[in-house]
Amino acid sequence: MVNVGDMLVGYATDENVRKRGASGGLVTAVLAAALEKGLVENVVVMKHINEFEAVPIITNDVDEVLASTGSLHSVPVNLAKYAMGRKVAMPAKPCDAQAVIEQAKRGMIDLDNTYIVGLNCGGSMHPVTTKKMLVAMYDIDPEDVVGEDIEKGKLIFKTKNGEEKAIAIDELEEAGFGRRESCRFCTLKIPVNADLACGNWGVIGDLAGSATFCQVMNDKGVKLLENAIEAGRIEVEPASDKAIAIRAKVNDVMVNLGSTLEKEIFPDIPDKERMQYYMEQMEDCIDCGACKEVCPVCACGEDSKCTMFHSLVDNYKMSMYHLVRLLHLSDSCIACGQCSDVCPSDIPITLLQSRFAIPSQRKREYTPGMNVDDVPPFFEVILK
Amino acid sequence: MIGNVYQTVCPGCNMGCGLYIREDEEGALLVDFMKSSPANLGKLCRFGMKLPHHYSKATSMVDGKESSVEDAIKAASDRLKGANVTMLGVGNTTNEESLAFSNIADAMGTVVNTGMGVYSELPTECHPTVGVGITLDDIESAKRIALFVDPYVQYPLLVRRILAAKKNGASVVSVGWKDLHLADENRYIDPDLYESELGLDSESVIIADVHPNTDPGWVKRMLNLALKTQAKILFMKPFVNATGVDLLCKGTGQKGIPEIMDGINEGSIKTLVILDSDPVELMPNSDVAAETLKKLDNLIVITSRDSPVNKMASIVIATEPLCAKAGSFMNVEGLLLNNSGEDTAGIDAMSALSQNLGGAAMDYQELHNTVLESIVKKFTKPKYKELACEVLDIGPFEEKKGNLIYLYNPFMWFDQSDDNDFVMVNMNTVNKLGLSKGGMIALTSDAGTVNMRYRVEDMPDGLILTAKKLPVATGWTTVVSTEAV
Repeated sequence: MVNVGDMLVGYATDENVRKRGASGGLVTAVLAAALEKGLVENVVVMKHINEFEAVPIITNDVDEVLASTGSLHSVPVNLAKYAMGRKVAMPAKPCDAQAVIEQAKRGMIDLDNTYIVGLNCGGSMHPVTTKKMLVAMYDIDPEDVVGEDIEKGKLIFKTKNGEEKAIAIDELEEAGFGRRESCRFCTLKIPVNADLACGNWGVIGDLAGSATFCQVMNDKGVKLLENAIEAGRIEVEPASDKAIAIRAKVNDVMVNLGSTLEKEIFPDIPDKERMQYYMEQMEDCIDCGACKEVCPVCACGEDSKCTMFHSLVDNYKMSMYHLVRLLHLSDSCIACGQCSDVCPSDIPITLLQSRFAIPSQRKREYTPGMNVDDVPPFFEVILK
Repeated sequence: MIGNVYQTVCPGCNMGCGLYIREDEEGALLVDFMKSSPANLGKLCRFGMKLPHHYSKATSMVDGKESSVEDAIKAASDRLKGANVTMLGVGNTTNEESLAFSNIADAMGTVVNTGMGVYSELPTECHPTVGVGITLDDIESAKRIALFVDPYVQYPLLVRRILAAKKNGASVVSVGWKDLHLADENRYIDPDLYESELGLDSESVIIADVHPNTDPGWVKRMLNLALKTQAKILFMKPFVNATGVDLLCKGTGQKGIPEIMDGINEGSIKTLVILDSDPVELMPNSDVAAETLKKLDNLIVITSRDSPVNKMASIVIATEPLCAKAGSFMNVEGLLLNNSGEDTAGIDAMSALSQNLGGAAMDYQELHNTVLESIVKKFTKPKYKELACEVLDIGPFEEKKGNLIYLYNPFMWFDQSDDNDFVMVNMNTVNKLGLSKGGMIALTSDAGTVNMRYRVEDMPDGLILTAKKLPVATGWTTVVSTEAV
């Protein structure tokens, strides 16, 4: 019997899945069971392209779900677009889950048909930056890497010959490597907005490295776990008080670090310099539209407010496109960093957007992507 | 897995931007960002973002009627036997298909022209320097960068490389057609002064480009500048596999597309076989190019996409979309990039054509191995001597005349629509002609008149830039008379 609010530790019963999975393969087994027992029709899994990149694919094949095991601090993706019109289950980092919930608010997906297995996230890393970091900081050939982990403030890489090398994240980030900038000031590390919040924080003793800590967040989380137990795919047991305390402590450390870094990343800009600052930041924009295309909370489609009054024939110092987006997304931006990731001119769009979104959201005590019933403060029209 | 995910390369230019193309159950295509791609880190330009529009599937045709690919191959074989054939492949497809095409040329006793006529005017020892540039990472460590292209419009993925170089302390001088925001200096100087005025040395990088309509004198000027200043040089190119196809076809003549069009007009070329290369799109004036192609006895098109030339071809042999092909591309820095597709329909079609014409059968793996052996090696860049050159004169201009210049970009090379329906002029032109805000400028040449919206840029007097092909153009540069509408 599983209940909302339960804190459990569990693992896959299939030894192979348990071994290959990052933390006992529980997430993989839950997703496989959801498909196998008909709770969902499809599962979104992250298919490994290489050790540093995965792409989301949709499958209705249990074996393909089972083959997708393994930890990967891959960058966030717009998962909601794979859920549209489907009854689906998916693994999601906290920001991935926020985006899915924001899309549900905009009527793009049906959250009743979307099961989100959340994964703790200390931060994600860009694949090419990571490869450069491995050579420069770790003296490891990227081709030799077989796994990675974040533990006690250190980023750990495991190599083919069984060796592990750890370097403090602070040190890496000071050298210009490490986590993506949006991850550095993120303060949502445990996906309490998902149906299940899973991760290895709080897995201690004999189970360390071979089990997953899992918090049941809602009724869908109950369904997911009970379904997997019934299918014989997982075994769970209550987490000890010590395990719960350790998980909370790790989270506190990560959240505090994010809050501290936020102050460093967003120094004050004097009032008189603000307009100039934004114009200069945006001036190398090539109008590709990738930041809109990739934005996981945008549900406007091709013809939208930000594109309506924008034309290449205009040569304003700052385009209407960006001006509209800065305002339009101020209540909904989740600072996932995807717009910065894809910007061909390396404009730090997430940081610019966050300068509007953070104060706006704080003033209204609103965090996007946490609860489907929370209406964004600037929502003009509520879609039914 | 539901649908397909192809790991491929953007066909918009020779940068080699990696991306994913997703094909859903209904066959609709979506672009996704391949963040582990070293050339672009998953970032894409306007053209890359609109790629699904590019992948319009071709249909096999014989004399205007839809046919099976087998019938198209048979009909092509019949018409090619004994014919005096000219072949064109600019590099819009894989190395393996390009090599297969080259093998057919061998069987027919002819060569594949890459459309880059400038190569035939350069000494052989210059080809590797023009063909394979410095690495894109090298741009970021340059101390000074001289730009002879507009990266924002023409090769947008260069922008971040140049900005990274600036962060590392580089200074940037633009010697283009209009002021660039990322340049520390925007210079409009006599080409004879480049060496003395641009402050280049062995820690500098020159970025220019080469394309089918390039003025050969300009390329020689760039080579001389690199030679005299010891600066490194990178020639950008417009086609995804322009570097690969050049290395595969080296020494075979490299006839330019304008020369081929002249040959058709003169009647010396009666049969043209093209591989993923559309002269209607590639020539500065689409209408004139189309009229020229109508003079051919036989126009045989082997192609993966629907384009204007297909409609006027005697025979179209349709192949699979570029993203689905098995094969490789070589980007501007000499990096071999593999497609994840496994389809070999194009190669199988060319193998059948080759056999029908008395040549050998070909298979993908054999061709791929040959590609690896013949072009993937540490090639050297021989020293070259100073080249005699003359640069095209683009001014000065009579009152109310201007020089319309093509700012070539992927949308122009594929003649695809974009939000680029305007020309760029400077404020003096606006004042001189009395152009009104939101009004239009009329451009007139021997080819006709067109009314265009305009955008004001900081640029020299007398220039009119366009990032869109216009029906008044007669070349990449066209003298036009101007007036307010």
